Amino acid sequence: MKSNRSHSYLLPPTSSLNIKAALIVAIAAFLLLFNVWPMSYLIFRSFVGEGGFTLETFKRIYTYPLNWNALRNTLITAGLSMVFGVMIAFPLAWLVGRTDMYGRKFFRTLFVMTYMVPPYVGAMAWLRLLNPRVGTMNVFLAKLFGLSENPFNIYTLGGLIWVLTTFYYPYAFITISRAMEKMDPSLEEASKISGASPLRTVMTVTFPIMLPSIVAAGLLVFVSAASCYGIPSIIGAPGQIDTITTRIIDYVYVGSAEGLNDATALAVSLMIIGNLVLYVSTFICGSRQYVTVSGKSTRPNIVELGKWRVPVTILVTLFALVVVVIPFATVAMTSFTKNLGKPLSSTNFTTRYWNILLTRKGILDTAKNSLIAASAAATFGIIISCVMAWLLTRTKAKGRQIPDFLITLGSGTPSVVIALALIMTMSGRFGINIYNTLTIMIVAYMVKYLLMGMRTVVSAMSQIHPSLEEAALISGAEWQRGFWDVTLPLIAPSVVAGWFLIFMPSFYELTMSTLLYSTDTKTIGYELFTYQTYHSQQTASAIATGILIMVVAVNWLLNKLTKGEFSI
Amino acid sequence: MKKILLTLTLLCVFACAPAMAADKPKITIYTSMYEDIIEAMTQTLHEKFPAYDVEFFYGGTGTLQAKIAAERDTKKLGCDMLMVADPSYSLELKELGLLHPYISKEAENIALAYDPEGYWYPVRNLNMILAYNPEKFDKKDLPQSFKDFAADESVRGLISMPNPLTAGTALVALSALKDKYGYEYFDTLAANKPMIESGSVALTKLETGECKIIMILEESVLKKREEEDSELEVIYPTDGAICVPSPIMTITDEWSAHGNSKICEELTDWFLSPEGQSYIVKGWMHSVLKNPPAIPYDSINTADIIKDSMPVNWENCLRDRTDLRTNFEKAVKK
Repeated sequence: MKSNRSHSYLLPPTSSLNIKAALIVAIAAFLLLFNVWPMSYLIFRSFVGEGGFTLETFKRIYTYPLNWNALRNTLITAGLSMVFGVMIAFPLAWLVGRTDMYGRKFFRTLFVMTYMVPPYVGAMAWLRLLNPRVGTMNVFLAKLFGLSENPFNIYTLGGLIWVLTTFYYPYAFITISRAMEKMDPSLEEASKISGASPLRTVMTVTFPIMLPSIVAAGLLVFVSAASCYGIPSIIGAPGQIDTITTRIIDYVYVGSAEGLNDATALAVSLMIIGNLVLYVSTFICGSRQYVTVSGKSTRPNIVELGKWRVPVTILVTLFALVVVVIPFATVAMTSFTKNLGKPLSSTNFTTRYWNILLTRKGILDTAKNSLIAASAAATFGIIISCVMAWLLTRTKAKGRQIPDFLITLGSGTPSVVIALALIMTMSGRFGINIYNTLTIMIVAYMVKYLLMGMRTVVSAMSQIHPSLEEAALISGAEWQRGFWDVTLPLIAPSVVAGWFLIFMPSFYELTMSTLLYSTDTKTIGYELFTYQTYHSQQTASAIATGILIMVVAVNWLLNKLTKGEFSI
Repeated sequence: MKKILLTLTLLCVFACAPAMAADKPKITIYTSMYEDIIEAMTQTLHEKFPAYDVEFFYGGTGTLQAKIAAERDTKKLGCDMLMVADPSYSLELKELGLLHPYISKEAENIALAYDPEGYWYPVRNLNMILAYNPEKFDKKDLPQSFKDFAADESVRGLISMPNPLTAGTALVALSALKDKYGYEYFDTLAANKPMIESGSVALTKLETGECKIIMILEESVLKKREEEDSELEVIYPTDGAICVPSPIMTITDEWSAHGNSKICEELTDWFLSPEGQSYIVKGWMHSVLKNPPAIPYDSINTADIIKDSMPVNWENCLRDRTDLRTNFEKAVKK
């Protein structure tokens, strides 16, 4: 979200002009080199065969019925996950951010936490809970309601949509929450004073103002769900449900040059879908995006739920139980279970898999790789985010929207496309060879996840009234000093939060890592996926639980250190 | 504020701690052996060859093939040796000139066919079999052959098999089944609605009763029996287990990651020696020697399995690779 207010008078007159231009050029150059150029080359390549320009590959790929099915499945699953995701995220964001529901802070952390665990861990859990024959929750529900057969089958399109929704709605929740915190409450107050009920205020004031953020959130869910590999490969494979991503990876696994070409041609369609959605959403909200969000933020007023307070809290608790607690508990329990055919008991209990997790060199090495790659991506990413936030909210520099647009473009491009494009352009053919190194991973993660970090910092920055910086200037401080002493401390919690919003998805990233990893750069996401599918589900569960514990611990630690100032 | 910066700095320092540099000659082996076996094997090699740094890199055969195809573009592979499952791949790599020939002193003791020029040797014998869970189902109610696995309607939708796109052994199995029963086998199989997934997922489904019977590698079941006291049992199919004598190969110095082919020769000898083979057997796979040092935990005689096994034509397997995958995909994924 951007602010329309610019305060160039805060800046030193001419000396910073060059700095601004240089920063814009540097960030744009990075994105052009690692995002725009690889994508363009990918499109170009898909039209070039052995003997020059050809539509042969496209013809072969798009006349194969299986690929059409995959395309249809992708559109259905990503589309519906987007709709359901937003339908869940908006009320939750409102309840958590604007009402006096019990345990608001707890729920906020809980829902954001879901963003912090690998989405395919959800697939692992739901596979055990809702498989048609012996799924634990299925059997329980059938017993509870006296049904003759189990009510759900996870190996269906519906099952896929369910898991995608429950693990991607946090993307929408975070985006919408943030916008809601920033919203000018005076409009809602006006509605309230004019006698509108809380619900009516939500529907006629809050919702319309939030629409651009809701569309942006929806887009994020759509693209994430459409480019997800882990969930469809775990849930879809047994029921022979393919998506574009699983097809692309299948083509890559054919292992020939033709396979890679086919994958490319198929990737182009995914890229077009992603960018089309991005374009349409920008077109829809482009004109309204900057109008209603005031920079001068007072504390938003809290809606009293009255007699609804208890029922609403119960409802949200139930939701959290089904969507967050039960799946995570299932995964945690799996990590201690010897024989998965029997319930967890003292004779069926083992810590073996945790021993493996803590001692096996292979796993520890991959964890180290991921830690390095994700830290680097998050650190560079947050530096770019801070610079962008400054350019967007505090300057009128010409062309400052260009890097902003390119960052949005990157996050709108499906992961698998980014990875393929990087492989084709960055493996020495054009003078840059970073294939098989951690650098290519870091670049890929930055292109994909920069937006979440940038949004967080920009939003924090636009909430800080420039009068504070002016005060510093009037007191004789240099603008750099004003920024360092006044602005930075105020946005610091958001900077840390933004760092984590880039760090976590990079840390457990699977789709891009599947294509980019090499002997020395295997990542924990890929390792977890390999254990889940090939070696041992229990060890995989131990790794997943380990990641979850780490997230909770870091969150707790930061909260302690910052005395509650920090929240993701 | 300062605390936050401190925390961040600490995180970064911790994350960026430089890796310890090793100056021992390095050997990287791409393999499709399970991580547990890799771990045990790494430990043993570390003790047997303290002067070398031997490292395994795991991937399904298909995955590794894709990786090698991509690496060939950069004129250098990431490995020095290969221990992948599908023997027909060694024929391909030999043709491409990527393999280093070596006549091993252990060659004469090998019971199975090997390359007379020494480009590849079988090093572990894997068997594709059927498996079931006696705690949930009665063996006599279940298919006893690969033919019935595909045709028996009583198990429709309750069967599982590995993905021939990523697993080399699954591709070999399909090739053998196609040679024996024709491509019609794929259609029959497809009508019985198999779930296509890898070992760990399939075994869990067998444990929970989600699947009645699965097509899987023998070693996966034996490992579970020994390590987790699992009751899961192997059915040696009446139309023959499908034996996959998985090869060991060395990459030429020109193409290999570290150019240590002499060390690879030493390792080849060790893997083919009775001692090396005993570790293969400990990893629940069968030995390739005429006089196997042992049989894997809870298994039957290696010679008996081979005697009754379903024949595999390796030339066909290589030639038909793409056809097999495409036809399978067309039949099963509708």
